[in-house]
Amino acid sequence: MTDTPLSLAGNANRTASLAASWPRLVGLLLVALVAGFALAGPLLVPGDPLAQSLIKALAGPEAAAPLGYDHLGRSIFHRLASALRLSPAIALAAVATAGLAGLALGTLAAARGGWTERALVTLADALLALPGLLLVLIVLAIVPGTALGFWAGLSLVLWVEFFRLSRAATRETLASPAVQASRLLGFGPAYIFRAHIWPEVGPMMLTAAAFGTATAIMAIAALGFVNVGMRAPTPELGRMMVELLPYWREAPLALLSPVVATFTLLLGLTLMAGSRSA
Amino acid sequence: MILLEADDITVSDGPTTLLQPVSLTLEAGTPLVVLGETGSGKSLLAQALMGTLPPGLATSGRVTLGTHRLETARAGRFRPLWGREIAVLPQEPWLSLDPLMRARAQVGETHRLVRALTAAEARRQAETDLARLGLDPAATQRYPHQLSGGMAQRVAIAAARAGGARIVIADEPTKGLDAARRDDVADLLLQELGQGGGLLVITHDLELAQRIGGRLMVLRRGEVVEAGETARVLAAPLDRYTRALIAADPRHWTPRSTAARAAASTTASTSSGPAVVSAHGLTVGRGGRSLIDHVDLDLRAGRIFGVTGPSGCGKSTLGDVLLGLVPPLAGEVRRDGGLPVTAFQKLYQDPVAAFPRRLRLGRTLADVARRHGAGAGRIDALLERLGLDPVLLERLPDAVSGGELQRLALLRLLLVRPRFIFADEPTSRLDPITQAQVIQLLCETVEQDGCAVMLVSHDAMLIRNTADERLALGRPEGAAEPQPEGARPEPVPA
Repeated sequence: MTDTPLSLAGNANRTASLAASWPRLVGLLLVALVAGFALAGPLLVPGDPLAQSLIKALAGPEAAAPLGYDHLGRSIFHRLASALRLSPAIALAAVATAGLAGLALGTLAAARGGWTERALVTLADALLALPGLLLVLIVLAIVPGTALGFWAGLSLVLWVEFFRLSRAATRETLASPAVQASRLLGFGPAYIFRAHIWPEVGPMMLTAAAFGTATAIMAIAALGFVNVGMRAPTPELGRMMVELLPYWREAPLALLSPVVATFTLLLGLTLMAGSRSA
Repeated sequence: MILLEADDITVSDGPTTLLQPVSLTLEAGTPLVVLGETGSGKSLLAQALMGTLPPGLATSGRVTLGTHRLETARAGRFRPLWGREIAVLPQEPWLSLDPLMRARAQVGETHRLVRALTAAEARRQAETDLARLGLDPAATQRYPHQLSGGMAQRVAIAAARAGGARIVIADEPTKGLDAARRDDVADLLLQELGQGGGLLVITHDLELAQRIGGRLMVLRRGEVVEAGETARVLAAPLDRYTRALIAADPRHWTPRSTAARAAASTTASTSSGPAVVSAHGLTVGRGGRSLIDHVDLDLRAGRIFGVTGPSGCGKSTLGDVLLGLVPPLAGEVRRDGGLPVTAFQKLYQDPVAAFPRRLRLGRTLADVARRHGAGAGRIDALLERLGLDPVLLERLPDAVSGGELQRLALLRLLLVRPRFIFADEPTSRLDPITQAQVIQLLCETVEQDGCAVMLVSHDAMLIRNTADERLALGRPEGAAEPQPEGARPEPVPA
């Protein structure tokens, strides 16, 4: 699998997809914009997301803090950049884990069938019946360390989607004459996966990964917003919103910054994922 | 009486001309057959005559239908005539009937909506129509899935004719039917429209054309290459393409057996070798239901074993059992133990479905060659032997024509050096000329590489002129025990 994710997704019909893929390009641009801000921002304007200066509480933008200050006089710019590194990092780690586990288990279930498949499907269905956020909360309560807990909880929620997708697609592919022909020609499971299953499942998995990342970021923000996620003073998107909500009149820009950043990131991810069907 | 007259009908897609100017007349009582292979433009011609061309295609020409004068470019004008003057009989009617509607209601609906009869009148009329076509009253109350293919065909004909249309266009009416059913359909169409009506039949099937009779028009790449009395054209074709088309009909092939036997007697190499695959007391079936009982087979190197029979008789399952893909219900299959597993191969009915969908053909072939230690030169040599252009290797499976892809599938098998090939209806989706080529290559493979081939086809004539030994299977419901050739005379289609 030397292909990068995007070239793989796009190689189905390059000329047609180029014309039809403007939403994906916009999505990519939005995500790149947010990523650029999160990674390069603090390098351009050095500062500490945790340093307080109560004199500057809710003050407007200045050279050292281009987005102004929050109620404790911390630079919104640096807190936002930090938050935009934290959530996506956890989300990506969780999606990578869930994707690999879902793909492996889904392919296994489809290939083995019988009890293996039945047990895995039952497990997946049982997890699907639980509200995702609740599951994350339970894991958060068990696992020490909030970031680790989020990673574990989100992985547990997200793998089900990957599992179901890859199982369904793999089962169909394995039943096709093409796979039968490859088997008769003497190819083993590794080749069948590489030549038949991955080309079918791969693009689907990448779409699901983009959606999954958006879901994970949203989940982290939602739990932060209700004060059960990341703990203060760690900068986190949902937490920043809820902390700044009481000051919306005095410092609208301070509240708007995390909202706009979150919206841009989620919109970008959704566009990247959704337009692939076009 | 002239029912329909068309002048200079053309169809083009942007700069590409799909149909050169075609003119035709359809007279009452004289059916017109338009014969051509896939892509010849025969279906486009029908659609232009109906005003049902897909949007985006440009068309010109005039159609005179009774008192109506129409231009094909203004498709909207055709609409009021649909059902009343001109009707189309769909391909594969069991798929075109409404699955949620009883047979009588499907026909009655047309009477009610097109001819504005009351519900009661429509029902009575529908019953009369269906009875006239030989459908018993009980059958008129069934849903399409409860009807046999022949009954569904009758319902579709009744529904198409219910509006009072005198002209019926039948587009490939026998697609997917075996020989006996094909003749039934032809007779039914003639019975319905032979005398007073206008019948336009579009097909690639020479035997259907022969059976329908009337006048014939041969299309090739959007051009009429020959036209005239059907009997005359089929008996003494003037055009080179028509001749090739008729020669490609399995009925006109030189039986291979004699040639092969002659070759075998001179080289005396492989024909009487040991069995590559043999079966004893074999019973096969699907889902626990037996389709073929107690057959004994010996498939020998260098011989073609032909299996023929109607669809659903278990002929494909038999091959899968011999390959070990499906377990037998009883009996045993013995494959030559000295051979590697990959010496037993299958050639599929639909070549597109037999290749990895998203890999370039060249990559797939290279993978197979690498897996079996065949040098890069072997692919090139085989490409030349099978008459294939190396350019095809750059494409994906669905961007190659069926005939080329089936030859590439054969190439892929030959890379493995098979000793046994199960060819499962390998040409049923190909045009006659392409079919003849592919079968010819398969026969050459048998002779050159000394494989054993089990060739399965629904076409008894194809098997008759190709196979060294034959097995004719009957209908699955019937108690007819299939017996190897010689034990029972083979039914010859009329």
